[in-house]
Amino acid sequence: MQIETALLVGLLFAVSVYLLLHKSFVRILFGFVTLTNATNLFLISMSGDPDGKRAPILGEGSGPIVDPLPQALVLTAIVIGFGLTIYLIMLLYRIFLDAKTTDASKLFLPEADDE
Amino acid sequence: MNNLLVLPFLLPVLTAVICCLFVGRPGVGRRVFIAISATVQCALAFYLAVRAFHEPPLVLLMGGWAPPLGVVLVVDGLAAIMLCLSTVVALACILFSYAEIPVWAEQPLRLPLMQLLVAGINLSFLTGDLFNLFVAFEIMLVASYALLTLEANDRHIKEAFPYLAVNMFGSALFLVAAGLAYSVFGTLNLADISRRAEAMQGDFGVMVVAVLLVVVFGIKAGVFPLYYWLPNSYPILPFSLGAFYSGMLTKVGIYVLLRTFGTVFPHNLTPLYTALAWLAGLTMVLAVLGAVSRNFIRGILSFHIVSQIGYMILAIGFFTPLAIAACIFYVIHHIIVKSSLFLIGGTAMFYNRTDNLARMGGLLKASPILATCFILQAFSLAGVPPLSGFWGKYAIILVGLQEHRYWLVVAALVASVLTLVSMLKIWMGAFWQKLPADGTADPEAPAAARTMTAIVCALTLISLAIGFGAEFFFGIAQTAATSLLDPAQYREAVFSLTGKGGQ
Repeated sequence: MQIETALLVGLLFAVSVYLLLHKSFVRILFGFVTLTNATNLFLISMSGDPDGKRAPILGEGSGPIVDPLPQALVLTAIVIGFGLTIYLIMLLYRIFLDAKTTDASKLFLPEADDE
Repeated sequence: MNNLLVLPFLLPVLTAVICCLFVGRPGVGRRVFIAISATVQCALAFYLAVRAFHEPPLVLLMGGWAPPLGVVLVVDGLAAIMLCLSTVVALACILFSYAEIPVWAEQPLRLPLMQLLVAGINLSFLTGDLFNLFVAFEIMLVASYALLTLEANDRHIKEAFPYLAVNMFGSALFLVAAGLAYSVFGTLNLADISRRAEAMQGDFGVMVVAVLLVVVFGIKAGVFPLYYWLPNSYPILPFSLGAFYSGMLTKVGIYVLLRTFGTVFPHNLTPLYTALAWLAGLTMVLAVLGAVSRNFIRGILSFHIVSQIGYMILAIGFFTPLAIAACIFYVIHHIIVKSSLFLIGGTAMFYNRTDNLARMGGLLKASPILATCFILQAFSLAGVPPLSGFWGKYAIILVGLQEHRYWLVVAALVASVLTLVSMLKIWMGAFWQKLPADGTADPEAPAAARTMTAIVCALTLISLAIGFGAEFFFGIAQTAATSLLDPAQYREAVFSLTGKGGQ
């Protein structure tokens, strides 16, 4: 169970880095979305192998439970990730409006700079 | 009993919320309210500092949970020093922004966001929990993203993109490091991690977590291969905010590096210290070359932040008790001097209406006081005795010579000379040279210019006090360093408290 998760986390990180290194704003954006999800999946896999364990709910059944702390952490991380993604979308849209391009490599070309 | 510890975080948050919800529009009343709040935060930080230096570290269990279970807030010597610095600089920048911008032109969200930024910074000094540290960093970073783009114009806003991208990537790595730390140590409480890491000496997992954390905080502090985002993004800020960013944000990274290496991890990660020292040497020299190449005040000063970060990281890289004390002293000196240089630049811009050195001039005649402040602070940054920068650099170079790291000492001296060169560039351009024919050196509002000069003078006096009272301040830094390097004392303070769910 854990080895599939590990492979998936690795794959997601690889995909996100691949996308982040592109020039197009949309791919960079999807790179960050994938990166957030890869991190969250990594964090939740720190609960350990869930096979044969029950959900950590008080007063229901007995036996070993899944470590609930990473689940609490990942909730916080998901919310922060949402907020940052929305901010990134708005920033990229504003840069697109101002610079009239979605190509990150054209943003910082030397221009007639008076400062 | 120690409930006061939550206030350095809670007060700025409440101030920001009250400003947003009840007094949405900028006005004189709102300004006075925020200024009073900033003064109270300042007084509180000094009260906590006095207590932290006379007692063992102060600890507050959030929600009353026993130490490894709940989040703890800890104030020891170093945290108290950092709290004092952040609140003093915040107060100076807030007052400066009142003079910089008339009430009618103030962005309604600027001061609330600035208070949230202070809250995030203070929480990262206070917290004794790795995940809580992540949350504090995010509060700080989200507020800083918003402030960076709040008043940026169409041409400058693209500079926020590398800042956001690099810091988002850093945050993702931080989260991975926190998860990994939880799986390696089985806890996120810093005191508990330090206890378990000591029992796991030489374990590969400890090294992996430490390397990941170094990369993360290296990004946040702007260390050599990872500093590209900083020198181009800070100049798009107004001077009053730029002063706060340059003083505090990167220093949070330094603080956390000190905390993790001093208190949390065992003191035997020698390969990592060596790597840090060499990266620091490269940071100092390359960044100061960047500073020499710039021709506007904010650009030069922004590159200097990175270069000065190099000295602090170098001290951490040497990792002897004297080097850590020198690092803490350097942080104290640097935050005050850097912020005041930014504010001096802001005042100069208020006189000349530009901060492009080619079009500035005549300020020595227009405001001799400002010129005096600038030359004192510039020499202090470069490390001319007996000003404050000299003592920090002297101690760091002394340790370098004791440890026989001669190339790094040479790098530090070269960077120091080049710092002086780039500072003289500002001096020649803005203060010494005659006013260009199309320039002006009369501020639109002389009263505001006088207020700005007064704030700058106050910061310069603090900096002079650090220089001439170096014995006292170095003593403080040494006390803080001794308690930082004593994890047993930290653990004792945290685990001596009992709460719900304890054994």
